[in-house]
This record gives sequence, C-alpha cells and structure tokens, in this order.
Amino acid sequence: MNVMNIYLKTYTLLFAILFIVASSTVFAQQSDYQIQQEFRTELAELSERVELAVSTEELEILEQEIASLRDRYAEHSNIINAAIFPETFERMVSRVEENRAASADRAAVIEQLNERVDELTAEMEVFRNRITQMSADAEDLQDQIERSAASESRQAALIRQYRQNLEQRDTFVSNFLEELLMRYQTMDRSTQEELADAAERLEDNPLDLIKSIVAEYISVADQSSGLEAPDYIGMRAQHGYFSDVWNRIGDRLVTTFDPEREVQAKQEVEDLLAAWLASVDNRLWDSITTAFNQSNIQLGPFTSPETFNTALNNYVDGAYELSLESNNDEDYTTYRNFRDFWNNTVKASWGEALTEGKILSQSEIAAIDIKVSNWGEAAQPTSNLMFILFLVSIAVIIGLVVLLITKKN
Amino acid sequence: MLTKYLTTLSVIAALLFTAVGCGSSMVIQDVDYSQPIESVLTPDADQVIHDQRFAIKFSIAKVLEQEGIQSADEVRLIRNRAGYYFLTAKGFNNVYVFKPGENELKKKEIIEISSEGIGDPAFNQRDRYIELVDRATGQTYNLDQTGRR
Repeated sequence: MNVMNIYLKTYTLLFAILFIVASSTVFAQQSDYQIQQEFRTELAELSERVELAVSTEELEILEQEIASLRDRYAEHSNIINAAIFPETFERMVSRVEENRAASADRAAVIEQLNERVDELTAEMEVFRNRITQMSADAEDLQDQIERSAASESRQAALIRQYRQNLEQRDTFVSNFLEELLMRYQTMDRSTQEELADAAERLEDNPLDLIKSIVAEYISVADQSSGLEAPDYIGMRAQHGYFSDVWNRIGDRLVTTFDPEREVQAKQEVEDLLAAWLASVDNRLWDSITTAFNQSNIQLGPFTSPETFNTALNNYVDGAYELSLESNNDEDYTTYRNFRDFWNNTVKASWGEALTEGKILSQSEIAAIDIKVSNWGEAAQPTSNLMFILFLVSIAVIIGLVVLLITKKN
Repeated sequence: MLTKYLTTLSVIAALLFTAVGCGSSMVIQDVDYSQPIESVLTPDADQVIHDQRFAIKFSIAKVLEQEGIQSADEVRLIRNRAGYYFLTAKGFNNVYVFKPGENELKKKEIIEISSEGIGDPAFNQRDRYIELVDRATGQTYNLDQTGRR
C-alpha cells in the first residue's frame, strides 16, 4: 500500500513538473513580445553578472550560459531584431560575449597577480625570518665575544663564527637582491601598474624589507667588535653592490610599492644607504691603517677612498725616491715587505672587495702596481764586484806596463 | 495658320491634362504597414497612450468606455500588413480594429473574443493575419480587419 502511495506521489509530482515546464514553454513562446522581453531581461542579467564576476570559474559558467541563451533565442532572432532595431540579436549577444572574454582576461591577470602577491608575501616572510634569525645569532655571538675577553683562543673562534655569520648574511641578501633585479629590472610598465594595485595588499613589501635590511646592516657595522679590515672592506663591497642594485631598480620599486610617495620613499632608502656607508667607513679606515701598520707599513692618514689612494701613492713614491738615493739593503727589505703585503693581502685577499666597495678602482691598483715595480728596480741593491774587477784589471794592466818598461830599460 | 496654332494649343493642353491626371491618381500598391512586434503601452492619467517607437499617440478613453471599465494597466497595440491598428488589454472582451485617417483612428471592427474578458492577451504578427494569444488560457485567435479568420 505504502509502495503504491509512493509511486502515485512520484507520478503526480513528475506529471506536475512536466505540465508546468510544458505549459510555461508553450505560453512563453506564444508571445513574440514576451520572447524578446525575456531575451532582453536574461541578456541584461547575464551582462550584469559579467560585470560583477571576479573569478575565472564564474566567468566560465557565464560563457556556457551566454552560449545557451544564444542557442535558445537564435530561432527568434528575427522577432528580436525587429523589436530591438537598430540593435541586433547578434550584436547584443556578441557584445556580452566580448565583455565576458575581456572580464575573463582581467580575472586571469588578477588571479595571477594574487598568486604572485601570495608568493611574494611568503618569500618576504621567509626572508625576514631568516634575517631575523641571523641577526639574533650575530647578537648572541657579539655578546659571547665580549664576555670571552679572558680567553683569546675562544674569542678568536667566536670571531671566526661571527665572521661566517656575516658572510652568510651577505650571501643571503645578495641572492635576494639578485632575485629582485631579475624580477623588476625587466618588468614592463603594465605589469608594474598591475603589481602596484595588488601590492596594496602586501603587508611586507620588498621596499620595506630593503629598508629593514639596510637598518640591520647599519646596526651590525656600528656594534661589531673584533672585526678587522677585510670584514669592513667586505661590508663596503656589500654596500656597493646594494647601492648598485638600488640604482638599477629603486625607481621601479618605489613606483610599484609606494606609488603615492615615490620621492619620499626613494629618499628614505638613499638616506639609509648613506648612513650605512658612514657607519662602515667609521671603522674601515682605522682598520685598514691598523692592517698596514701591523705589516710595518706606515701610510699617511686617510679617511676616504681618495685619501687612501693618495696615501698609498705617496708611500710608494716616497720609498721609490729613497731607494734611488740610498739603494741599500734596508730599502730593499722595505720594498719586499710592501710588495708582499700589497700582492698577497691587498690584491689577493681584498682586491675584489676593494673594487666592489669603490675603495680602489682597477686602474688605481694597476697604477700602484707599476709604481711598485719601478720601486723594486730602484730598490734592488747594485753589486760592487764589477767595479772591483775593473780596478783590479786596471792595476794589472798598469803593473804589466810598468814591468815591460822596467824590463826594456 | 490658325489651324496650326489651334492644333499646337490642343496638344499642349492635352499633355497638361494628362500630367495633372496622372498625379492625382498615383497609388503605390502592396504597402506593408505591419508592425513586427506588438507595443505594450501604459496609459497616462488622461488615458492617453504614446508609442514612441512606432510614433503614434491617442486616447483610449472611448475604448474603455465601450468596454465599461475605468482604466487599463497595459494596452496592447499592433498594426497589420494592411495598416489597421488592433488594440486590446487584459480584461477586455473585444479586440478593437481601427483604420488610421487624418488625425483620427476610425473604428473598423470590434471583434468579440470572450464575454469573460481576455485573461492575458498578446498580439503576434503573422504572415497574413494577427494572432491573438490569451496566455491565461493558451487559446489563440487569428484576426484581420474584418474579424476572426
């Protein structure tokens, strides 16, 4: 009995649905006016949905719905054309299709940008975490270095570790800058503008990150203890690289990530870069002087790349003049001492960093090389053996002449 | 000489009469006045409907009076191939057929459809007739200016 009831209910329901569908179809198609009205309403609704759609999925569904509308109303296109003249069925539907396609393109770009923003945010977070960790390690090492003043060997080990930490940081930051360069140096204007829109949602953008990195570098340069000339030269090289990258992509970065205060944002980074350089230089020149002094090379005072170059040239020129005048072993020892330090330390160990840090240029190094070479020639003590042999020869000749004259007489 | 003069005058007069005669009787045949789709118009407070698309404006007060009702929300109007206007509305018993004249629409025919009133009327333009659909009942009626076909 129950089964019968269920069957009866199901059939009634199906019949009702069929009746509603059939009757609505029949009635809807009986009025031309209504057909075109429904077409207009449906198209307007689809058009509005296209305007409001934000996802590609939504727009894919709309593509199907527009195609379905086109199919359903194609047979009534004459009626519709008559009703909407001078518009046409084809033009109206095509317009919505074109709008949908354009919206789909826009949505795809937006989705891509969203993905890029998410990636960027994730990268920034990883980067910031890593830098924070490195800074914490550096501070910890710094504390330990200060506390372990009693044990020289332990302090030396800690300084080595601290130096490694700084090198790792430099490598990590350089990789980050390389990536920034690749990403933003060749970025076209439209991508830049699109990214600028999306970047508004970034809590931590590359510009902020650059500022905090430079601030960290300033802090490291100000607080470091136990570091020596090569460390500070390395810091200056890192500053040089950083400045170079900034000069190449700084404008794009401020336009993209801080478009409302471009000039101010750029100035902020440049001020920080100048402060970083000042902090490094504050320790750099003393450390270089100390390194030369430790090798018994007394350069004149210097506080900038220009005065350092002048001090080097003055030292070599003075020594050269002295060698020309005196030409003794002591001069030659002085020359060898300088030559070894210049070749093995300054050029071999510091060379690349010196040029990257804009402390000495390749041409300046080459000019000093030539002078050192001249100095070497001047300092080389000349031998007296030939002179003695000459005197002996003359004496022998005179002796022989005297002997011959004596024998003749 | 006089004969020649009279002959020329007669020829000119004949030509003039022919030209004038031709002008007055010029008729263009097979004009298609058909409006492809009905107009659904809302009367204003003075019972005037205005079809801007097909450029016609008139009062339906007399039609309402004929139907014995005060007002209509929407009036349906369509013109057939011959140029006659067909007018009806929801609740009307009839379809009114008008012939346009100079500043006037002259009743040509009143076609009775239902004494109960048409539930939900709609006109469709068909090849040789106007189709009236009562969407409330699903019934259709084929009409021309002479009445039901």
